[in-house]
Amino acid sequence: MSQFTQQVILGLLLGGVYVAVALGFSLVWGILNIVNLAHGALVIVGSYITWVLFTRLHIDPFLSLPLDALALFVIGYALQRGVINRVIRAPLLFTFLLTFGINLVIVSLLLLIFTGDFRSVTPAYSGSGLHLGDIVIPYIRLGGLVAALVLAGILWAVLNRTRSGAAILAVGADRDAAQLVGVDLRHMYALTFAIGAAFAGVAGGIISTFQSITPTAGDPYTLQAFVVVILGGLGRVSATVAGGLAFGLIEVLGQSAPGLGSSYANAIAFVVLVVVLVVRPRGLLGRLA
Amino acid sequence: MSVRRAAFAVVGLALAFVVLAPLTSTEAAQQAGLPLLTDKLWFRIATTVAMFVVMASAWNIIGGLTGYASFGNVAFFGLGAYTAGAVVSNLKWPFALSLVLAPVVAAAFALIVGIPLLRLRGHYFAVATLGVGVAVGEVVNNIEPLGAATGLFLPIVRSDLFFFYLMLGAALLAVLTTWVILRTRFGYGLLAIRENEEAAAVIGVNTTFYKVAAFCIAAALTGIAGAIFAQWNSFINQDNAFAISDNVQMILMAVIGGTGTVLGPVAGAISLELIIQTLAGGGSGSVFSQIGLGVLLAVCVIFIPRGVIDFFGGRSRLSLRYFRQTLRETSA
Repeated sequence: MSQFTQQVILGLLLGGVYVAVALGFSLVWGILNIVNLAHGALVIVGSYITWVLFTRLHIDPFLSLPLDALALFVIGYALQRGVINRVIRAPLLFTFLLTFGINLVIVSLLLLIFTGDFRSVTPAYSGSGLHLGDIVIPYIRLGGLVAALVLAGILWAVLNRTRSGAAILAVGADRDAAQLVGVDLRHMYALTFAIGAAFAGVAGGIISTFQSITPTAGDPYTLQAFVVVILGGLGRVSATVAGGLAFGLIEVLGQSAPGLGSSYANAIAFVVLVVVLVVRPRGLLGRLA
Repeated sequence: MSVRRAAFAVVGLALAFVVLAPLTSTEAAQQAGLPLLTDKLWFRIATTVAMFVVMASAWNIIGGLTGYASFGNVAFFGLGAYTAGAVVSNLKWPFALSLVLAPVVAAAFALIVGIPLLRLRGHYFAVATLGVGVAVGEVVNNIEPLGAATGLFLPIVRSDLFFFYLMLGAALLAVLTTWVILRTRFGYGLLAIRENEEAAAVIGVNTTFYKVAAFCIAAALTGIAGAIFAQWNSFINQDNAFAISDNVQMILMAVIGGTGTVLGPVAGAISLELIIQTLAGGGSGSVFSQIGLGVLLAVCVIFIPRGVIDFFGGRSRLSLRYFRQTLRETSA
């Protein structure tokens, strides 16, 4: 029984990571109608920034999260304003291909700069955890979950309590109408993408504390972010949180099922994806599209 | 019209290459007492180009004609390759049999996943099929009799010519299939689905049947290419048989050439594969070729969204104004 409880807790902690990864992805998809295939690459850029700050300047990985957000915000704004805005009205295959191209370029640049070696961030407390009877909760994973929930809160507050957030939601609801009431579309597209990228950067910082990073380590996260958004539903912060936690649980419990293992991670994700798409296309908490 | 003349020159050169190709293999040249026209590397590249012509044309049937951008076609390629591997390596049956079995297996799989997945549209279909590509590769990678993570070795057959002509045959079959489809009721049905699926259903197109059929045809063609690749390369694993980058490449080729046309994917496959080979051949390693591919992807998507085929037949002319116009059409 305690082993099952342990698995559930690990699943929720992993789910926290998925929440962090999927928040930005979900925002960009919901508002801009872009499935950003470079999202995983942006996540890993965040991981490398945390790694550099940790190894060179000995900054605690959790303290470097705001810096990840800031750096990726700038990169994201420039990418959308300079490149993706050029095809924003094209059929979705084109934005899809474009973000795949951006992904290729970012991953290759990371390979050039950091080589393909495994890098890890290991603060002093990385091996220890909270002991509750037989159950162990690693501190870094707990920190990741807390950070992810804080992120979700920030996103909700930005969208629902600020003027820019209202403009972003207006763009998501109807671009032309938003433009008519004076919203600067180009800026809002770029701002939305920048927020999405900043969240990806924070997710990358969290990921670097428990997983070794390589330039290509981000690719699985793009697919997983997609599954989380499908599972939870598009268009709500709470749906992404529910989807992320549920997917973390499914993955951990699925991999501990007899006959399966971690080499089936993507296959499990895919089965979840297809089942949800066929049975409940709007996800757990999603609004009707 | 100079673009058109250049195109004729390229096609002429390609034909000349096909005819003269026999003289380029070492053995044939020695027998005829002729000097070598090209080396083995070029033979390999030409076969690869033909392979991508098959894949891009097959993708065009589901992605270009029907409008369902599949990112999982590489699963059919991998399934074809592993069917050939199982036939030749595990069962010790002749390779020719795999040319029949591979398309059947691939099409059967397309039928099974196509019925639920083709109900999805847009991003949902694209990423769901992407998931198919990744997941099938992962499952195959865990099957012990198929070599699991080590990969599967096939007996080596040394004949550049044989595989070149075989792949060329497959390429012709793919192009011919597209040509025939575009001239039948079935083809008009697919185009109607792409333009407006509800309207197509209203005028009596059985959309589910049409979509699944197009998916199966694309799968069968891609499966043949996979089978030939397996025997040609004599080694297959998850990385070379289920490479997601191959899937993106075939889409990019169709887009660069011009989706929905017969010859667009052919033009795209030839030009892009040659560019990739040139970038990779610079000795700077694959990193720069990847960067080049990424930048090329962005440039093509932004500036020539209708493909290079748009410059033929007098519809548009290659000029700065054309770029400015396509840019304005899609910009924010």
